Amino acid sequence: MKKNLYGSTLQVFLTIFTFTIVYLPILVIILISIHGSQYNYDSFKLTFRWYQEIINDQQLVDAIIVTFQIAVLATTISTILGTAFAIGIHSLNKKNRVRMMVLNNVPVVNPDIVTGIMLFIIFRFFRMTFGFPTMLLAHIFFALPFVILSVLPKLKQLDPNLFDAALDLGATKFQAIVRVIIPSIKVGMIAGALIAFTMSIDDFIISYFMKQGEFHNVSTLIYSRLAKRQISPSVFAYNSLVVVLTMGLMILFNRSNQTQKKVRG
Amino acid sequence: MKSLRRLIYPYIVWLTVLIIIPFLFIVLATISTFHIFNSYTFRFTFDSLRFLTDPIFLNAFKNSIKFAGITTLVCLTVGYPVAYFFANIKSKNKTLYVALLIVPIWSNMIVRIIAWENVFKPVSILNLFNLSFDMIGSDIAIIIAMVSMYLPFMIFPIYAVLDKMDHRYIEASRDLGANAFQSFYKVTLPLSLGGIVSGIIMTLLPAMTAFALPERIGGGTTILLGNLIEKEIFRGSFSTAATVSFVVMIVMLGLFMLIVRFDKEGETLL
Repeated sequence: MKKNLYGSTLQVFLTIFTFTIVYLPILVIILISIHGSQYNYDSFKLTFRWYQEIINDQQLVDAIIVTFQIAVLATTISTILGTAFAIGIHSLNKKNRVRMMVLNNVPVVNPDIVTGIMLFIIFRFFRMTFGFPTMLLAHIFFALPFVILSVLPKLKQLDPNLFDAALDLGATKFQAIVRVIIPSIKVGMIAGALIAFTMSIDDFIISYFMKQGEFHNVSTLIYSRLAKRQISPSVFAYNSLVVVLTMGLMILFNRSNQTQKKVRG
Repeated sequence: MKSLRRLIYPYIVWLTVLIIIPFLFIVLATISTFHIFNSYTFRFTFDSLRFLTDPIFLNAFKNSIKFAGITTLVCLTVGYPVAYFFANIKSKNKTLYVALLIVPIWSNMIVRIIAWENVFKPVSILNLFNLSFDMIGSDIAIIIAMVSMYLPFMIFPIYAVLDKMDHRYIEASRDLGANAFQSFYKVTLPLSLGGIVSGIIMTLLPAMTAFALPERIGGGTTILLGNLIEKEIFRGSFSTAATVSFVVMIVMLGLFMLIVRFDKEGETLL
């Protein structure tokens, strides 16, 4: 096939544009986090002061802890529940499965602010105290559909007779799920858990509607400080750490994947 | 596996309590005196619907359509060729390149918004490079920041469909005499429509309802539907917030119908 040179130059150009526009804020964040002065931009002064200051900022440390606690709990709970629900949805007939998936996908498509309002309304209606429990529930709520969406395709690839075979061989339903179904859909569960974790850590809008007084996750804390104009570069330092760590993990993961492929192939 | 059906009952309850009931509350608040915060005498009224003709609402609606529309258009024009490029790359690092677009999402969205705010302020870290912009409050600044936030969400679903596509279709169309343009227009494009629709929804809706971004980059003067909802609910005017949410939901449901047409079980939404 003849190569369309004009087309591929355009594609490369747009790809470079994409990485530039998506990574520019990240570079700005990293730059602010290693620049010595908060107000003076005449000349660059390298410093790691802001990184040390993360631990002195008690409010920020608390918010980081809340963010990770919620992310870990929401990911674990939504992965377990989502897998169970996906197995349930998979066992329905086609018509009901489509119905359930349409309902399942509403929170995925729903703009965050509307989801936030909906949860705010229902939690207020039940007279719940806003704070950790409501934020956790909210995060489970928006993570669950993603877990289901990533587990379901793996269930479809599964031989439906495996489960019945396990039952015939004397396994209980629970044993059959844990020992036969789960190992075959593990990849989908891990993918779902990763999406859930990413979304939970980054969420601002929905968490914003779950706030109560001084209870904050990182996003809502930064936003509340913005209003009071008290943004310290240590926030940028924390954010840079997260980005550099993720990127490192991703490259490492890619490497180990390739060595695995080489060994196998 | 039919016996596993019972596993979905709790999920049906969960979705009913957290989606269907709040949705009904929002509808009810739009067309009656229904209020969740204080006691009231229930009667049907269309008072809050009158807000839909208020200049404040109309302005926010117009802004939302304008900014979200332009952003989505830019994301689609840029995102489709990029997704196509990624899907056709012959490299063992292919997934890494796509994954590199996820990394920025790990960075907190609010911090990324502040970073853009910094870029567009006259006094900023960019002064180190003798660069200075004064663009806070301008339309182009909001659009650049929005494209930066939402472009990956356009690329992922399109990449997913293009990557899965059977290349023999394209080869077959070429063998049957189609030129490169024809085989793209008649084969590749229709087959990737599901991804395009998902991508549009994943950019359009968040952009329409963004509130931190227009507030920071717009310098507090550009109001979108998201800003309106946020202001009204925390001011305690529940029925106005519900009415605006209702409008957003109608747009959402309209787009949702489109997804259901292309992809019944939402497989392109991931």
